[in-house]
Amino acid sequence: MVSPKSIAYYVFHPNELRSIIQWKVWHNPVHERDEAKDSENLKRCFHFLNLTSRSFAAVIMELHPELLVPVTLFYLILRGLDTVEDDMTIPLEKKEPILRNFQDILEKDGWTFTENGPNEKDRQLLVEFNVVIEEFKHIKPAYREIIKDITKRMGNGMADYANNAEHNLVGVDTIRDYELYCHYVAGLVGEGLTRLFVEAGLANTALLKKPELMESMGQFLQQVNITRDIKEDLDDKRRFWPKEIWSKHVDTFEDLFKPENKQKALDCSSEMIYTALTRADDCLYYLAGLREQSVFNFCAIPQTMAIATLNACFQNYDIFEKNVKITKGEACQLMVESSQNLQLVCEVFKRYARKIAKKNNPHDPNFLKISITIGRIEQFTESIFPSQKPPVDQKSPASVEEAEKAKKQAYEDRWDLIYMTAAVILTVLIITGCMIFVAYLAGARFDIAYYELKQQVGELLGWIEPKAKAVEAVKVVTEKSEL
Amino acid sequence: MSTERTRILVTGGCGFLGTEIVSALLATKRYDITTIDINPPALGTSTFTQSVRYVRANILDRDALQKVFDEAKPAMVVHTVGVYRLGTARYSMKNKEGEFTVNVEGTRNVLDASKECGAKGLVYTSSVTVVLDELGKDFRNVDEQWPTGRAKTSYGQSKTIAENLVLSATTASRSFATCSLRSAPIFGPNDPTVIPTVHACIAAYQTPFVLGAAAENLQDYVYVSNVADAHVLAVANLLNSQTAAGEAFFITNGAPVPLRILCLSIWKEFGHVPAFEVKIPEGVAWWMGLEIGM
Repeated sequence: MVSPKSIAYYVFHPNELRSIIQWKVWHNPVHERDEAKDSENLKRCFHFLNLTSRSFAAVIMELHPELLVPVTLFYLILRGLDTVEDDMTIPLEKKEPILRNFQDILEKDGWTFTENGPNEKDRQLLVEFNVVIEEFKHIKPAYREIIKDITKRMGNGMADYANNAEHNLVGVDTIRDYELYCHYVAGLVGEGLTRLFVEAGLANTALLKKPELMESMGQFLQQVNITRDIKEDLDDKRRFWPKEIWSKHVDTFEDLFKPENKQKALDCSSEMIYTALTRADDCLYYLAGLREQSVFNFCAIPQTMAIATLNACFQNYDIFEKNVKITKGEACQLMVESSQNLQLVCEVFKRYARKIAKKNNPHDPNFLKISITIGRIEQFTESIFPSQKPPVDQKSPASVEEAEKAKKQAYEDRWDLIYMTAAVILTVLIITGCMIFVAYLAGARFDIAYYELKQQVGELLGWIEPKAKAVEAVKVVTEKSEL
Repeated sequence: MSTERTRILVTGGCGFLGTEIVSALLATKRYDITTIDINPPALGTSTFTQSVRYVRANILDRDALQKVFDEAKPAMVVHTVGVYRLGTARYSMKNKEGEFTVNVEGTRNVLDASKECGAKGLVYTSSVTVVLDELGKDFRNVDEQWPTGRAKTSYGQSKTIAENLVLSATTASRSFATCSLRSAPIFGPNDPTVIPTVHACIAAYQTPFVLGAAAENLQDYVYVSNVADAHVLAVANLLNSQTAAGEAFFITNGAPVPLRILCLSIWKEFGHVPAFEVKIPEGVAWWMGLEIGM
């Protein structure tokens, strides 16, 4: 549906419209998929994937065929786990064993779960969870082990939170708790995906040796969501902003939403944004370790969306009143830019970092910290894509040799050029000669051509009176030629 | 106990950085410190009269200097003495003799005295200006691979010559080992340069004006205790593994921000935030500078 409002918007933002068209028309998935070959079960899985995740389905569907099914199942399994955890109508004593044993459930043929409340949006996935379990049996054992391990750790983390009465009552306390929560729901996903990529040979194994990078990939996305969703979560009676942060600005969590605390709320939000932004350079570092284009796109698109969302939320009081989103045009532009190479993604990060820097103001208690973080993003980009090379040091002997070599090279290059030019001229002359000779044999009258040429050039330069003389001359010549 | 400690001599030990270095060396409890300075410790600065020997000496006076070194018999020398000019004078090549005499000849004297008294090496406080003072040029994320010798200011040039003297004094056998620490602009408590210069803009009503790319170009700075720590590490290295011998290092906070951000942050600490901002393009700024200069 195209509303008059959006038409008006794109009239004034033709660039964004262009990006939408560009993405819709020109974007081809890296790997095409033949849906006809899928089993009924698998089709049902993809159906659920499209239902449950609006943003991820698109990038998952374009993944390398080796990982398409494992990642889809990984996503659906975690979504199933999340649907059990989220549902407040399930009593704790029923919920806890399911969360803690979900990795074993994955091997129980025909397991389904029908006790979700009617309002749980993804309840149908669990009602038909047997299709997921059936497909899970068919993927490579190595992938299965990775998915089971992550499911186990995430399920236990969720169970711990479900048991933690304080967490349910007052929300997240310290920044450490906040990061631990994000670790369970997102950092672990980063780890699982990385292990799948490496197992499939589509990412550098070094990524596993720098666990903080994959952790940051998940943390960045999750923290951006938590920061943006402050109002939505409040309406759902959930609090993820840590007390350690908001208590610096207001006395109670609800005070953040009072109109008289507008400035304090903004200061608090920029501390949240700062906390997320400290992960950004790690994310770029991580992306540098990916080898395959579809995996790169899969990872890069959510990250650039996240930094654009941070920019949209920064110094924007709207986040306390509604759900702030980037526009569709911006999203399409980001997808175009994020499905190419690391350098372009670095440019996107830099561009949004600079937008954030522009809005940063000295009254903000985190002014300097935010600037330093932005500086780090720029410096990291410069370190992997240097825009300058060290000039030749004239003093050192090594470079004297180098300079000598360069000089010799330049000398040779010049002679190469001279030889080439001479060869071209010679060829042209030979061809011209041949053509003239052939023309001569065919009876060409060079005397007329010469006369004509002289006449025309003379007229052009004004040496010879035109018209009369010329006509006469032509007459003479033509008469002659008839002889 | 104290006889087992390694003897260190610090030149300029009463200065802003020197004081911090002495304090950091003392904190390791491994060194016995002699400090020479042209001035006695200034009022208000921290001194360590109980544990540090203060000697007044001028590094331009070779004989007196040698006497102090021979008495102190340091295993390692930390040479922090250097002079620089502030404001527009920094960019002038007139009256540059002061900088050349103290920074170059002074360093030569300290090097000679150190070798003569049997020290094992010397740590030199250099400056990022040896590379960065090639004015009008951008240096994006440059490292120590960048050559020196292109500086356009008298300070940068004098520090380059001195640094070359120091680095080439490292012997092949490592019996005398040196290294050079190129510090970014230093700030901190009692800082005589960065914070006062930035603060002075408030009284001069200069704070709203942003020159050229000062709001975007990243620049490195360094907190005084970080530079001091770098010196302590360099001393330990030259006394032990000597892997730093003959090398130069940039010393920064590793947290570059645009100059404008540093200024705004300092002004805010003094309760001042400019009410508005005027961006002046670089070309215009040069012409205005010329006008004021004339």
